[in-house]
Amino acid sequence: MKKKDSVDKIIRDLRERAKEIKCLYQVQEVLSDQTLKSDELCKKIVKLIPPGFQYPDVCASKIVLGNKKYTDKKFDETEWELGADIEIRGEKSGRICVFYTEERPLEDIGPFLKEERKLLNSIADQMSMQLLHNQLKTVFEEGKLQSTEKKSEWWIILDLLKRTDPRLLVNIAQKMLNYLCLNAVSEAESFIEEFNPSFKKKTELFKDNNFPMSVIETSDIFNKSNHVFDIASRNLSENEILDIIQKWIKEDRSNFMVNILENTGSSLPDISNAIERYHHLSSQGLELSVPRAKSFRVALTRRVLTDQPGFVKIAKENVKVDDFNGLMKVIIHPARSHGKVGGKSSGLFLAEKILKNSGPDSKSLKNIKFPKSWYITSDGLLEFIKYNSLEDIVEQKYKDIGQVRQEYPYVVQVFKNSTFPPDIVKGLTLALDDLGDRPLIVRSSSLLEDRFGTSFAGKYKSLFIANIGSREERLESLTGAIAEIYASTFGPEPIEYRNEHGLIDYLEEMGIIIQQVVGNRIGDYFLPSFAGVAFGNNEYKWSPRLDKEDGLIRVVPGLGTRAVDRISDDYPVLISPGKPDLSVNASIEEKIKYSPKKVDLINLKSGKFDTVDLSDLLFDHGNNFPWIENMVSVVEEKYLRPPKKIGHDYKNNYHLATFEGLKSGSVFLSQIKLLLGIFREKYSGPVDIEFASDGKDLYLLQCRPQSFSKDSRPAVIPEDSFENDILFSAEKHVPNGTVQDITHIVYVDPDKYPSLSTFEELYETGRIISKLNKILPKRQFILIGPGRWGSRGDIKLGVSVTYSDINNTAMLIEIAKKRKEFIPDLSFGTHFFQDLVEADIKYLPLYPDSDTILNEKFLKNSKNILPSLVPDLSAELQNTVRVIDIPSESEGKELHVYMNSEIQKAVGIISESSTISSFDPEETENRKVLNSDFHWKWRLSYVKEIASSIDGEKFGVKAFYIFGSVKNATAGPASDIDILIHFCGNTSQKNDLEMWLNGWDRSLVMINYLSTGNKTDNILDIHYITDKDIKNRTSYAVKIGAHTDPARPLEIKRPAK
Amino acid sequence: MGTDSYNPFRTAQKQFDRAAIILNLDSASKDLLRIPMKEFHFSIPVRMDDGSKKIFRGYRIMHNNARGAAKGGIRFHRHESVDSLRALSMLMSWKTAVADLPLGGAYGGVECDPRDLSENEQEQICRGYVRQNFNNMGPEIDVPAPDLMTNAMHMLWMLDEYETMTGKRTPGFITGKPVEMGGSLGKKEATGYGVMLCVREALKELSISPSKTSASFQGFGNVAQNAIDLYQKMGGKIECISCLDRKEMKEISYSKAGGVIPDELRKVTDPFGGIDKKKAEDLGYEAEYNDAWMKKEVDILVPCAIENLITEANYSSIPESVKIIAEGANSPINPKAEEILEKQNKIKIIPDILANSGGVICSYFEQVQSNMNYYWDKNEVFAKLDQKITSAYVSVSDFAVKNGISMRESAFIIAAERVADACRERGWV
Repeated sequence: MKKKDSVDKIIRDLRERAKEIKCLYQVQEVLSDQTLKSDELCKKIVKLIPPGFQYPDVCASKIVLGNKKYTDKKFDETEWELGADIEIRGEKSGRICVFYTEERPLEDIGPFLKEERKLLNSIADQMSMQLLHNQLKTVFEEGKLQSTEKKSEWWIILDLLKRTDPRLLVNIAQKMLNYLCLNAVSEAESFIEEFNPSFKKKTELFKDNNFPMSVIETSDIFNKSNHVFDIASRNLSENEILDIIQKWIKEDRSNFMVNILENTGSSLPDISNAIERYHHLSSQGLELSVPRAKSFRVALTRRVLTDQPGFVKIAKENVKVDDFNGLMKVIIHPARSHGKVGGKSSGLFLAEKILKNSGPDSKSLKNIKFPKSWYITSDGLLEFIKYNSLEDIVEQKYKDIGQVRQEYPYVVQVFKNSTFPPDIVKGLTLALDDLGDRPLIVRSSSLLEDRFGTSFAGKYKSLFIANIGSREERLESLTGAIAEIYASTFGPEPIEYRNEHGLIDYLEEMGIIIQQVVGNRIGDYFLPSFAGVAFGNNEYKWSPRLDKEDGLIRVVPGLGTRAVDRISDDYPVLISPGKPDLSVNASIEEKIKYSPKKVDLINLKSGKFDTVDLSDLLFDHGNNFPWIENMVSVVEEKYLRPPKKIGHDYKNNYHLATFEGLKSGSVFLSQIKLLLGIFREKYSGPVDIEFASDGKDLYLLQCRPQSFSKDSRPAVIPEDSFENDILFSAEKHVPNGTVQDITHIVYVDPDKYPSLSTFEELYETGRIISKLNKILPKRQFILIGPGRWGSRGDIKLGVSVTYSDINNTAMLIEIAKKRKEFIPDLSFGTHFFQDLVEADIKYLPLYPDSDTILNEKFLKNSKNILPSLVPDLSAELQNTVRVIDIPSESEGKELHVYMNSEIQKAVGIISESSTISSFDPEETENRKVLNSDFHWKWRLSYVKEIASSIDGEKFGVKAFYIFGSVKNATAGPASDIDILIHFCGNTSQKNDLEMWLNGWDRSLVMINYLSTGNKTDNILDIHYITDKDIKNRTSYAVKIGAHTDPARPLEIKRPAK
Repeated sequence: MGTDSYNPFRTAQKQFDRAAIILNLDSASKDLLRIPMKEFHFSIPVRMDDGSKKIFRGYRIMHNNARGAAKGGIRFHRHESVDSLRALSMLMSWKTAVADLPLGGAYGGVECDPRDLSENEQEQICRGYVRQNFNNMGPEIDVPAPDLMTNAMHMLWMLDEYETMTGKRTPGFITGKPVEMGGSLGKKEATGYGVMLCVREALKELSISPSKTSASFQGFGNVAQNAIDLYQKMGGKIECISCLDRKEMKEISYSKAGGVIPDELRKVTDPFGGIDKKKAEDLGYEAEYNDAWMKKEVDILVPCAIENLITEANYSSIPESVKIIAEGANSPINPKAEEILEKQNKIKIIPDILANSGGVICSYFEQVQSNMNYYWDKNEVFAKLDQKITSAYVSVSDFAVKNGISMRESAFIIAAERVADACRERGWV
């Protein structure tokens, strides 16, 4: 029944549109008859209007022009009126009105449809044009008759203006005078003061002058204007004068835009109307001067998209004023909106326009599509809050974070149970009609996000909705999703983030994009064939043959969620679009391990976002999956082959998502490559894009300048460090990034390792690394060794380890040291390259034979603490593997590695550890998002500070250790800090010490509370041990030098003897 | 590089020297067999995708061809060392001899890293390899096969180049081809079946009916699944299956009261031998860690996937009930652990060179079928495999029992003896 209703509605709507179009056609026909006088014109048109309206039977129309009135029939005017002004030369010359003579049901504007309003507006606009034309014609003919001497064409135009639009005449005279002055015409320069007396008094303008300026006589002005044009005729060619006068007259017609755009009070609907009018005029030949066009673009960008300067700069070069016309039609906004659409939406809009307006490449770019999208402006959220009287919620951000966390589920519920203002609901209904019954993704497009970079990523929600069921059900789930995203603005994470970044007092304005999900229905699922992200710059080179500008694609089957995020148990396929033939993984075993096994999709049955096994999906639907034959390979024993294009058996073969078909000359790959190239040029730098494909076309989902996490940004290479402090430097194949606060180095001696005499010893080296990986403080040690970490087969060329043997290291360094005749090539970590990428473990090759530094003295002569960590090793192995405790070898200093790919320079420096003062929450922020390293990092930095300020002699402290979750880099927001103090003082010293530590403890509790909202009684968990404990290895003393999870000593001031 | 550093060729020579002493080989035989008979080193020029030229070094080492045409893999490796190819070629001579195949041993490789090469460049290397070494290869001279970083694709390029140069169709030039291009049926099952055929023979010797035994398997990939398949057909009870969990990066052992039902587990296994822990638990399986699979009270242990799995550190957890360990994987037991298990626990260890020889036997079958241009059905392949591997097992085992040595030593001695005999009969030594 409901379905029938909606079909009926569609038919009814179509019928109305047809009527309106017919009406417009007929009007145009009348207007195109050049022989008709204005009077006849009005008489004819007034009759054509009522049939175009919804209820022609009760519809009457009236045209007023000057003091004349035309109606289609006799009628009494009623309150149900729709009118449009007829303007000639910016002045109201008349009006067209339509009345319903009887009451009819309420529609968009009283009983009238909004399409009817548009109809009437266009009739009025077109009539204005025609009437102007008629007027000009009359004057022109009169002028021709009257003039005794033949005047040039432009004089006729000016004559005409004198009679019809003196304002414009003066305006043009002024412009002409300026133009002449700019062209250094001396006559004009001397006349300028006379023409405009205020010019003379310019200096007076800057004084406090309370007298009004004198009014200039009109006749005088005309004379002066004539003089200006006389000067012009003496100095400029006829054609030049005609050209510029015409241009100025045309430009004058766009003045209404200037008024609207420059008035901060004008609302989005005003702007929308102005753009529509502009659109009409431009189709009739309105041209703008370059500066004016640019100013319009900038103004529109600022008002509608975003005011981020970087964005505006690119937009003004690439977006045309007319481009906004289409956009305005899909923006949903409150009645008097002053909102914008926000960052994400703007990025996508700009990308679309760049492609549309980019010249030579556009043929291959034509097929790149953009999913149909609708937008809600940023003030939609405020309107929603106001409409539901939820003003209290705005205060949420000023509550303490614990309370915010506690109340958040309630906020979500309140939001989801609130109703949307009718304006928005109406917009959403339209959007749903337009978007159809495809699944949708509802995404946030925050204004703060634009203003302060992309670091908000992941803070706000994106929701998929299946968009199934009746119209009402679909609307309900759409509003539910929007409400949930609105609610996420008041979630603890964004509030915490804004607090930390001093953004809390900004009004959070949240735009929304509602976008069709790209894809196909496959069984009960809806999903794109493939999707992913592409980066203009590749920060992860897996072969020396790759260049950074070759870019990087991360692609998966199904929704791109699995390619955007790093997922621990699965991998995306990595492709270098510049050199797609160089695969990350070469052997079959690696290809199997590093291929995506799972697929994200929308389950149309449950209406939810879902994840399924690729093998299950292919088993059931392999033959109905568009483009799948290019995405998977069949696993035969020991080799991979492409599936058959037709009639392939997906049930009885093993398949692997390898995207071989994407790599080998597919149109999609060349499109992505082209996109990265074009955007790199337009954005003056690398971009990252999100894309998806339904197997037929490539869709662009997002586009923005490439972002880096703080740890992956190009590091500033310190210039002022002493050569003695430099452990190593590198100038080849350097990636971007910073690795700080390294306390331990595991060094496998490249000279000694190949000389180990048995296979067992070579193999054992890998086992030692594996043990150290578990013992040493996580992400605070680095591995340095000869070439090819993870070698198999050629074990002599590198230590045989798997990824799980090294997964806790912060960095992997390979040394290519010349041996006899050759320099060994490095593996570039390829054996587990993808694992390194996903875990953000940095990789750096060193070439010590080139002009770089490698402080082998430090590496070979520092104390080797390996025997204390892994006892009972042969002397040969102990000589080969060295573990260096950096702080104890360098008076408490630590290793910091700075790498800059732009200038191909890296340096490892042993210097002071980064202390609290340099502890920058922003720096750790991105790591927190990626791998939640935030909590242990700040704890550790404070503990180091505490340790270094303990006066050991005063308090009777011999040594200070840390163990547990902070040492092991696993601390969470509620973790305490386990400390071991080797105490040898007396009772009063202990009291003093406890009191001193108690002060620290309180501060730490407060710091933790402020940054996470977790309130605990204590943070410091202190255990005291004595000489006796250590001797007998009782109590916590066992932690010192333990094999598993040993306590780590920290430097203290003046240790007690 | 010190002279005392690890060298795989020297290790292989030492192994041969031990066998030579037992066999009391004359010095000429020792001289002949200690080093490869022929070595070819050549350069392969390749036009790279960017238009530049690059020269790659290729090698083919033929250890011995007294028993027949040489056979062995071709590998791509950035730092292929000639010594490791020498060692591998020697090992191939022993492998073919243990299985009593009428073949010799060879190995080859190209110094290159496929990671840095496009597919097109790899094809050029394969074709260049054949062009440079054309006279020394062929179905009756030396037959290559895929190895490290090479696969059927590379083999077919080489075959095509060879056939183009000879103007003939000679699929027996190379093995490791897909079935539709002249590969052998049953290749997939061969290695796993071979392992279990050896176990069957070992049980016969112990006079135990397979149906009264239980076994525990490590690995659930191709080799293990086929071994399990045959074991099940023989009536044995599968007590436990262990495999690497990719999420946890740990070995997990799965077992269930009443025994494992392989078909049931197969449904929750990815195509690469990884069992889905959650789904397995839903099926009522208990998931255990820490080598649980080898602690089960079973008669037979079959390690099929990982090297160096049983060491002196964990061998003691193997219960007394275990009578047989069949090495489906390469070197799953380290030498120290092996010695103790054999001497103290009296466990029969079927060495890898014998237990996983099903693979090389089937390669030989592929060669034979290709040369005849007539292809057998699966059952025929299996019947011939059974016959070959059983007789290989019997001779190795008999020799071991007779001389009181381990099966591994026995296998090496038999192999060396067969090769030495062939050389002598040809009048070389």
